Amino acid sequence: MQNSNDLKSYLELLSKAGADKAQCTLNKRRLFEINVESDEISLLRTTYNQELNLNVIRNQARGNININQITDSAVKKAARQAVRIAESSQPDEAHDISPGPLNKKFEKGPDREDRNKMYELLAEFLHQVQQKYPLINLEQVNFRFYNNNRQLSNTNNVYLSEQKSFYTFSTMFMAKKGDQTSSFNHTRFSSLNLQEGLLKKGSIAQLLAQSEKQIKTKSIPEKFTGDIIITPDCLSDFINMYINISLRDNPLIEGTSMFADQLEQKAADSKFTLYSRPVDPDTAGGYFITGDGFLSENAVIFKNGVLKRFLLSQYGANKTGREMSNNRGGAYVVEPGEMTRNKIIKTVDRGLLVARFSGGSPNQNGDFSGIAKNSFYIEKGQIKYPVAETMISGNLKNIFNNIGAISNKRINFGDDILPWILTTGITISGGN
Amino acid sequence: MKEINLKKYKKHFKGYTELRLQENKQVNISFVNGSNKNNIQDSSAGVSARVNQNGAWGFASTPGTSRNDVKNIINEAQKNASFLARRKKTKKELNKKYNGRGDWDYSTAKPRLSQKELVQFMQKLDNHIEQKYTKLKSRSLFLNTLDMEKRLLTSESQVSYSLFPRSFIYVKLSTEKNGEKFEITDSFGGLGHFEDNFSEPADLYSEINELYNHLMKKREGVYAEAGSCECILDSELAGILAHEAFGHTVEADLVKSGSVAETYMNKKVAAPAVSMIDYANKAFGETCPVPVHVDDEGIQARDTVIIEDGILKSYMHNRETAREFDAEPTGHGRAFSFSDEPLIRMRNTAILPGEHTLSEMISSIEDGYYLIRPSNGQADSTSEFMFGIILGYEIKNGKLGRAIRDTTISGVAVDVLQSVSMISDDITWISSGMCGKKQSIPVGLGGPAVKCRVNLGGR
Repeated sequence: MQNSNDLKSYLELLSKAGADKAQCTLNKRRLFEINVESDEISLLRTTYNQELNLNVIRNQARGNININQITDSAVKKAARQAVRIAESSQPDEAHDISPGPLNKKFEKGPDREDRNKMYELLAEFLHQVQQKYPLINLEQVNFRFYNNNRQLSNTNNVYLSEQKSFYTFSTMFMAKKGDQTSSFNHTRFSSLNLQEGLLKKGSIAQLLAQSEKQIKTKSIPEKFTGDIIITPDCLSDFINMYINISLRDNPLIEGTSMFADQLEQKAADSKFTLYSRPVDPDTAGGYFITGDGFLSENAVIFKNGVLKRFLLSQYGANKTGREMSNNRGGAYVVEPGEMTRNKIIKTVDRGLLVARFSGGSPNQNGDFSGIAKNSFYIEKGQIKYPVAETMISGNLKNIFNNIGAISNKRINFGDDILPWILTTGITISGGN
Repeated sequence: MKEINLKKYKKHFKGYTELRLQENKQVNISFVNGSNKNNIQDSSAGVSARVNQNGAWGFASTPGTSRNDVKNIINEAQKNASFLARRKKTKKELNKKYNGRGDWDYSTAKPRLSQKELVQFMQKLDNHIEQKYTKLKSRSLFLNTLDMEKRLLTSESQVSYSLFPRSFIYVKLSTEKNGEKFEITDSFGGLGHFEDNFSEPADLYSEINELYNHLMKKREGVYAEAGSCECILDSELAGILAHEAFGHTVEADLVKSGSVAETYMNKKVAAPAVSMIDYANKAFGETCPVPVHVDDEGIQARDTVIIEDGILKSYMHNRETAREFDAEPTGHGRAFSFSDEPLIRMRNTAILPGEHTLSEMISSIEDGYYLIRPSNGQADSTSEFMFGIILGYEIKNGKLGRAIRDTTISGVAVDVLQSVSMISDDITWISSGMCGKKQSIPVGLGGPAVKCRVNLGGR
């Protein structure tokens, strides 16, 4: 395995080749995976990979090269090429590397997978699903163990190392009876250690049970404006959409973010508090080091509805004149509310329980529309039936500003911890 | 890609084995509002082995390409297959043999441009947009080139080789009106190295002008009326309908898992005017955007007629599902990276052209929409689909009306295909996106314009 001395020698090569500033990142990854296809364990897969990124600034222009054939001669050649790429780029005062000196190492998770145990747990899961949910077809299950080592070093005397490993479990499934099929649904969780009872993790059991009820669906009676309750699986999509169009580098550099002038201002309902916790000891995955070479930190993004930070990289911050963030999102945790999920359902006069959203990318104003998949029609506080071909349209800003209630119970996916959220004013239309 | 004689490793094979050497090379250059944000070269190469024992698959891959690395990876794939085979109750041998072979290289014959020349090309294009279109709030340009080079040996076949390059320039333009933002995107390019797809930035000016004009109309646009309506889906949307909405449901692995197409074989799934083919490498006398000659399971690729005159005729198979369904594989086993196992993937999926002109089709609609460009698409096991729409117009009394804002369409593919009443007499391919199914992979989507009924999201 390459060590800090190797990275140092790569930096020397880059400096000799003409770099004013240079940063190297070496990723080494091992993946072990057991695959289920159509209810059967079908494939066992082991992959090894490595990637060396050489990042060069010369005359304030940046060049990047990634290689995975890391021999002495290949690195020498890549170093010369990285400088040539920088020479071919247009200069930009915003390019920089992380400041030093800094030397830190992080470790998380077990060294190696227990493949016998993984197989046993997966076989038990398949058996339990067959017994408890006879209508379910497991289209695909991926049970994985990731072992990732990442080292980053630069000419500002920064050396950071991150060794992390974790398990992930994801499944895609549908229910089938005769020639009738439910929509597929999917869910996942991650974990630092192998634990008994895969079926009990995350939202798996709930969603399998729901799918069995979704074989026969019904159209909603008419187009109306109503409430939706967004489930934890689905909430993750909405949070990512909200953040991606407003808080990251591209929308802020392009000037298209709807929150460009709203830092420390209300940008969501006061019931909404959102954290990103990539360095929590309990978070599987996460990240200790940002992609551009800074120590990561946990952060609050919305506090009681007030926008507390943008998720800008060093380049994005330099480009926009705003503060850089040592948190780049992920591992999202939403503060729970006070009502039970059933109580929230009882407050809905007319609306949907939305378990999956299949939609177009929202535009820069936050307008979105898409199909409410695996979802149920609610009337007068009661779940009535699973819906067919039902569209929901609205605006993300309204979704997060019109929160009626947040559930007291949350689903822990191993990285994200998310509740059910009730929001109002959504256009709901069917195919008829 | 490093030259390795794969044949010398055949003696290490035990049972059905694939040994693949692959390198993916990419160039990414981006300009955001004139700033050269990225200028990146990327290379990812390695060897993989996949082994089948009693129906159990073992796979392993490594970036190392030394003699020992290759031997070790074959050995590890064998161990992985044995691990599962020992625990498997039923044995399903791959008993049929296939022997795909050949060399295909789509490299340019022209001198290659340097990275500096590529950056200059993009900068010139960016300068043109900045100077000509002063009402823009922002602009982003992105160049991506991908060279996918593979050498494959299976326990049954000779070595096959392919080099598939593609190159695209993506343009995103944004403007504002009364504090509201409007955006539009397009992509240019296709199969081939940059030099075969682009010669001068000026060659793209008229298409960028057209894009800008659409954006200005969209800025004045209206929300679509939510609900079911009559529409013309232009070629890009017909292509994505073929691929996303119906194509995925007839991939045999999804059929096995219970997709709605399980009971549709030889039944009516579309209007009689609709035929749909997944082309391997040539269509309408030309090379397809994603030509596949021998797939990553060593199968000679052939066209697959999916729908003929409205009747479902075939699923798409890999070796394993072909055996289970008693069908012939036609070369759909494809992997994106050296570290990916082959999965059933479409190649160039198209609805075949009909007899009408686009203007005849528009004239035939009293109140509906002409939908031109999708942003993304998703499909379901039920064949219910969703496409984001970023460019479209109202049709009122047979004439194009106001532009519409971003929206989404949905429908059940079988119902929508049965509602097709007119098909245009031309075909356009798009291939700038990637299809995601465990791995992302380039695909070609082709279509004429089709008139049908879909559900629209809106206000």
